[in-house]
Amino acid sequence: MRLEDYNPMNNEMYQVMDPMGKVEDKEEIPELDDEQLKYLYRTMLYTRTIDEKALSYQRQGRMLTYAPNLGQEAAQVGSAYSLDDEDWLVPAFRELGAWLVRGVPLKNIYLYWYGNEWGSHMPEGVKVLPVSVPIASQLQHATGIGMANNIKNEKNVVLTYVGDGGTSHGDFHEALNFASVFKSPVVFIVQNNQYAISTSRKVQTLSENIAMKATAYGMPGVLVDGNDIFAMYNATKAAVDRARNGEGPTLIEAYTYRLGAHTTSDDPTKYRDDAEVDEWRKKDPILRFGEYLKENNVIDEDWIESTKKELEEEVKKTFEAIEDKSDTELEDIFKYHFETMPAQLQEQLDEYRSFLEGGK
Amino acid sequence: MNFEFQFPDIGEGIHEGVITKWLVQEGDNIEEGESVAEVETDKVTTEIPSPRSGKVLELKAKKGDTINVGDVFVVITSGAENEEEPKVQEEDQVEEETAGVVGQVVASSDVIPSSTEGASPTKKTSKRKKVLATPVARQLAKDFGVDINTVAGTGPNGRVMKDDIHKANEDKAKSEDKTESLKERKPRKLTISDDMPVERVPLTKIRKTISEKMSESRFTIPHTTAMDEIDISRLHDFRKKYKDILKEVDDVNLTYLPFIIKASIVALKEHPEFNSSLDEETDELVLKRYFNIGVATDTERGLMVPVIKDADKMSLVELAKAIEDLSKRAKENKIQLSELKGGSFSVTNYGSIGGYFGIPIINYPESAILGIGRVVEKPIVKDGEIIVANILPLSLSYDHRIIDGASGARFLNLLKELLADPDMLLLKG
Amino acid sequence: MANTLSIIQAVNQALMNEMKIDDKVIVYGEDVGVEGGVFRATVDLQKTFGKERAFDTPLAESAIVGTAVGMAINGLKPVVEMQFSGFSYPAFNQIISHVARMRNRSRGQYNLPMVIRAPYGGGIRALEHHSESTEALYAQIPGIKVVIPSTPYDAKGLLIAAIRDPDPVLFWEPKRIYRAFKQEIPEEAYEIPLGKAKVLQEGDDITIVAWGAMVPDVQRAVKMVEEKGISAEIIDLRTIAPMDRDSFIDSVKKTGRILVVHEAPKTLGVGSEIISIVNEKAFLHLEAPPTRLTGFDTTFPLPRGEKHYIPSPKRIAKTIEDIVNY
Repeated sequence: MRLEDYNPMNNEMYQVMDPMGKVEDKEEIPELDDEQLKYLYRTMLYTRTIDEKALSYQRQGRMLTYAPNLGQEAAQVGSAYSLDDEDWLVPAFRELGAWLVRGVPLKNIYLYWYGNEWGSHMPEGVKVLPVSVPIASQLQHATGIGMANNIKNEKNVVLTYVGDGGTSHGDFHEALNFASVFKSPVVFIVQNNQYAISTSRKVQTLSENIAMKATAYGMPGVLVDGNDIFAMYNATKAAVDRARNGEGPTLIEAYTYRLGAHTTSDDPTKYRDDAEVDEWRKKDPILRFGEYLKENNVIDEDWIESTKKELEEEVKKTFEAIEDKSDTELEDIFKYHFETMPAQLQEQLDEYRSFLEGGK
Repeated sequence: MNFEFQFPDIGEGIHEGVITKWLVQEGDNIEEGESVAEVETDKVTTEIPSPRSGKVLELKAKKGDTINVGDVFVVITSGAENEEEPKVQEEDQVEEETAGVVGQVVASSDVIPSSTEGASPTKKTSKRKKVLATPVARQLAKDFGVDINTVAGTGPNGRVMKDDIHKANEDKAKSEDKTESLKERKPRKLTISDDMPVERVPLTKIRKTISEKMSESRFTIPHTTAMDEIDISRLHDFRKKYKDILKEVDDVNLTYLPFIIKASIVALKEHPEFNSSLDEETDELVLKRYFNIGVATDTERGLMVPVIKDADKMSLVELAKAIEDLSKRAKENKIQLSELKGGSFSVTNYGSIGGYFGIPIINYPESAILGIGRVVEKPIVKDGEIIVANILPLSLSYDHRIIDGASGARFLNLLKELLADPDMLLLKG
Repeated sequence: MANTLSIIQAVNQALMNEMKIDDKVIVYGEDVGVEGGVFRATVDLQKTFGKERAFDTPLAESAIVGTAVGMAINGLKPVVEMQFSGFSYPAFNQIISHVARMRNRSRGQYNLPMVIRAPYGGGIRALEHHSESTEALYAQIPGIKVVIPSTPYDAKGLLIAAIRDPDPVLFWEPKRIYRAFKQEIPEEAYEIPLGKAKVLQEGDDITIVAWGAMVPDVQRAVKMVEEKGISAEIIDLRTIAPMDRDSFIDSVKKTGRILVVHEAPKTLGVGSEIISIVNEKAFLHLEAPPTRLTGFDTTFPLPRGEKHYIPSPKRIAKTIEDIVNY
């Protein structure tokens, strides 16, 4: 796939697999063997299972606010899969599929949403930054990591994500501008799921698409069907290779749809049509990839069923392992602000401890 | 009107420049905006225009010199009388220089002392004694005029509490009261009915002094008096035997007083607290190692207590002589003031006029006084039989703060022992 | 070997020293590369170490700090410049949301050994936003350190310590005295520990705490009151967060009186924190109310009104006398 073949100024969107799972141009099918394809499908299924169970737990009062990824599995899994081991992932907050691909344990993910900071402490070798709540602010970190790579002469790249809402933020502009000026090896992926809570993408910017904004920064931008896992994989891979070759950053707009709510505290029926949602259901990324795989005899229904069961068990087991056992240790609240705890902080901790122990 | 043109930081944040060329000479007339010099900085070589019109009075540097931003490098005089004085800036406003892209940062070559980092500061111990106290307590102390740093604190960690200050204030008032009553005790208002027949007689100086001293003694010392009768029959005989000889040979009247004084000194040596003073300020008992016995003497003008100095070093005869001499001179008003001071113990012989027991007032600041009554013949019981004896009544007043009843009794008992048996007095005196 | 330098020159020498010793130290910001900084703090760094290690950025403070976060995560030690502390506000989000929180958020997995330098404080007759003194805003944020030197020696030693510190430091430089005097300082690198105040002179009657450009003004005021027999102890706080509380507590226990002098607005300024600490730790030693002498609760005036704002030595002296005579 060549990025320059899809000019966002002409609103050209890159797609490999249509919503039925049919591939027109066989040349565009990525060179992945069956095991890899099954891994991709399984991971998308895993993403969805985790989401569904999390939503269920939340409604049962066993989990706190959660941001579902429903409908965006291909955008996340396909893009993240294009990275090498040493590459970085700088997420916003709705990149479950990408976290899983990059080796973030489910335990961490649930711990985070369950309300314990240890969820953000990654195992050795997992180069994933914590969730970044201030919208778009993480893009600057990604740019900075990339700039450091250039200075250190290291060849790994940085994959970072933001939503359509985030593209209105000053940080988006500043980060892309810096990344371009300094040729930072970053791939910026905008998951355009059409909504920023209740705000439609059409209100967010009058730009015809988001990908074309890259032109203003002197970097390539490409509009991609975000529900097409092959397209996402190919486009991201091209951008990653570009960055690794020292050619600088790329902006990828993953055109997708948020089938679920913004978070568990949001009711999308208030601001969008069921009809619209139904239309997008037909373009479900797991559906279409499943069709392709079945068509090409990589998987069958039985495999799908048994895999689903397996994944559900896994999720249930993981959640129950952390449920009710994940209160924050008192000292952890204090210990990690500086390398050495300053005297007044230690004093506050000691005073509080003594209060808890029924002291004076 | 001289204008000192300081080399400006021409907006480049420089520190110094080199004068590459002077564009004017001393004596030239120049206009505002006209360049005076060409200066090379580390950024650029540029011409510096004058902010004033006038005559160039002095060029303060030579071509090739390095000048610092802030140095005066040209002096321009306007010569005009009505030129506005450059606004004198407040002494605490720093003079302006230019630097940075905005604003003006002062530049100067002043050098400040080197850092003493790492040198451990000599911990000077504070001169003042400090106490712990809340601001409320400190204010209270201030209101009372009490120096809080002298108040003993009874609170946690020795903190001075409000109660401590109240107490300190009361003590202060008390001691002030005492001093008042001793020196300037407020005179009490006398309440007598106006229509009673009275005559007002002004007090003599000596009477006033006596009055004050009596008050002082009585109001300071808690008095108590122990009394006893002593059978001095044998002393009576002794005196009778030697009285006439002494009169003839030494020309001295031998009364009982010398014996009593001698006996008292023996007792004082054995019970030194009777020969002492209480120092209330330091809470100390001042034991006197000298024996100056005051002898209360009645005179026309009033009571006087001349002192026999070092009475312990005198023999009975010498004592007798001293007593006589003092008595005579007192009546003649020939007693020196120094002879009225320095007593350590006193005796008062009211018995010479009459009277048996008494409650004498201690001669402050002494701690005891021995009152001597009239010797009389009285029937007493001895060995189961009634006989006639010569009885000497003694009344011993003492300071009950420092002398307990038991000591008082012991002192009297010793006197009794010595005076009842002259041989004992000889042995111990 | 020693040399006599002003504060701004000391800052420059500190950067030179550290960049030579540690090639992880990177300096960037607006106009710091080619020009060497508008105050010449970074002069000759690009010349000496090249464009990769000392460079100019597009005009975007938030990105300057945000990318520094990324660089620090990826193993470098960025020392970035905010051209004036008043221009750090666009970066405030990055500072409070990320610079201060990355270590805690990741439970120690990531720490940010970065420094943000800026000229701060008023008294240079400049435009709006060039005279800001908002160290209190930053000092309250858990997870960052705030350091303000007052002499060339301290500026160099503290900056080097800040660069070597494993945690993020805001290094605010008092621009009013950037070049007001020079001091003999060692040519080679040395550190002054962060979080340690300095007793500049000992005294018995009153403790005075100040930092930055107020220190020389306090020294002037103290000389004035010495003539009236008042003996003052002067403490240069140097690190605003974390504060060396013992320095002024021990002092107040000796003198019983304390005055804090700072430029920044009065309400909720750093003075209020110091006084609260004195209240907690030395209440029973007080002989007069702990006092602060500060700027007003107003925006820093433009140059024509500037002379009223910063407490003058005369005003400081009078306040000292009032406290001692309480």
